[in-house]
Amino acid sequence: MPEIFTNIALQHYLIVGGLMFAIGMIGFMTRRNLIVMFLSSELMFQGAAINFVAFGAYWGKMSGQSFVIFILAIAAAEAALALAIIVLLFRQKHTVDSQAFRELRG
Amino acid sequence: MVDPHIAFSGAFQTLAAVESNPTGIVATAPLAPAIVVALCVVAGIATWLLLPGKREAAVRRIGGIILLATGLVFGAILVRWTTQLGGMSVYFWGFSAIAIFASVRVITHTKPVYSALYFVLTVFATAGLFVLMWAEFMAAALVLIYAGAILITYVFVIMLASEATTGAVGAAAEEVGSEHDLLSRSPFIASIIGFALAGLLIFLILDKGAQIPTPNRPVAGDLGSAQELGRNLLEENAINVQLAGVILTVAMVGAITLARRRVMVTPHDRSIETVVSPGTPVEDNPHSIPVYGTMNPRHKAYPET
Repeated sequence: MPEIFTNIALQHYLIVGGLMFAIGMIGFMTRRNLIVMFLSSELMFQGAAINFVAFGAYWGKMSGQSFVIFILAIAAAEAALALAIIVLLFRQKHTVDSQAFRELRG
Repeated sequence: MVDPHIAFSGAFQTLAAVESNPTGIVATAPLAPAIVVALCVVAGIATWLLLPGKREAAVRRIGGIILLATGLVFGAILVRWTTQLGGMSVYFWGFSAIAIFASVRVITHTKPVYSALYFVLTVFATAGLFVLMWAEFMAAALVLIYAGAILITYVFVIMLASEATTGAVGAAAEEVGSEHDLLSRSPFIASIIGFALAGLLIFLILDKGAQIPTPNRPVAGDLGSAQELGRNLLEENAINVQLAGVILTVAMVGAITLARRRVMVTPHDRSIETVVSPGTPVEDNPHSIPVYGTMNPRHKAYPET
């Protein structure tokens, strides 16, 4: 007989996921290195994934884990594209400082 | 000094009994709103001190200690609240403490390689949390895909796109690195916004969490098996699986196209000159983009860019 995933446990996992999301958001806003900025966005993905799996376990459904698979696929696609763009930008100005590309703001 | 439970019940009337609790103890709210606000303010200031900037290393260390103490206080309050309701396992506290600590280090470390390695630690701790939620297959997939594939790509790009370090900037004398790693962009505002979000989420979860309807849940025994997950994926999300495949293919093609270099071969002396712009097909022929380092004699010289 497996242990029951209680309401209290759900709240704890949601708090952990929310904290990871907030920390990732702070990192995305403050860091100036493009690579670390995208690492922070991966942190936000992780927080969302924890919430999906927690709700899936609470309701006893597999849908939460299915959506985490799609989150992983999107994260992989985003990492590939973002890192290709970062390599391109580095070839242009020989820096990964996001402040060096300020003219993109228009 | 106001008793936190009284303050909480005065402000918010819902202190519902947790139905799934077998012992029937009424769940008292763990945190008064004032305490949540105070903890978030202290954590925000500590994060502001801890983020890279033109401060002394000692100040950053103090910020780290304050943030650690805030996290410990918050965890202790939660533990005290939970133990009267049956308690969470010690594995949960361990894994979540590692995950939160490593995420803070990801965003505060001044060296990108160390940030990536701390992110690997976060991935492992999250995989541990997944195992505690009976999602064993997802834990394995997370470690394989994140720590094995995505982070390797990140580390490769960090190595590829590393520049010469410019030495010390500002007062952080013993730290060596580029300027954009040693300085952060508007850390005060970002800490305020981030911890306002965190405080709102925590408060909402603790206040309204007991009202989430208790499901008529089946036994969670099969929740982690790859068999059940595969059945759910292919029976209920078949279109989504194909869409994910299309997205991955498009991303792969796009990444290859973006990161290619354009090569110019001068016809006289066959010298190769690389241009930094991404390769574009000549005369609508996609096979006309040579890859850097190769020289196909069948290719004609390229027109001016």
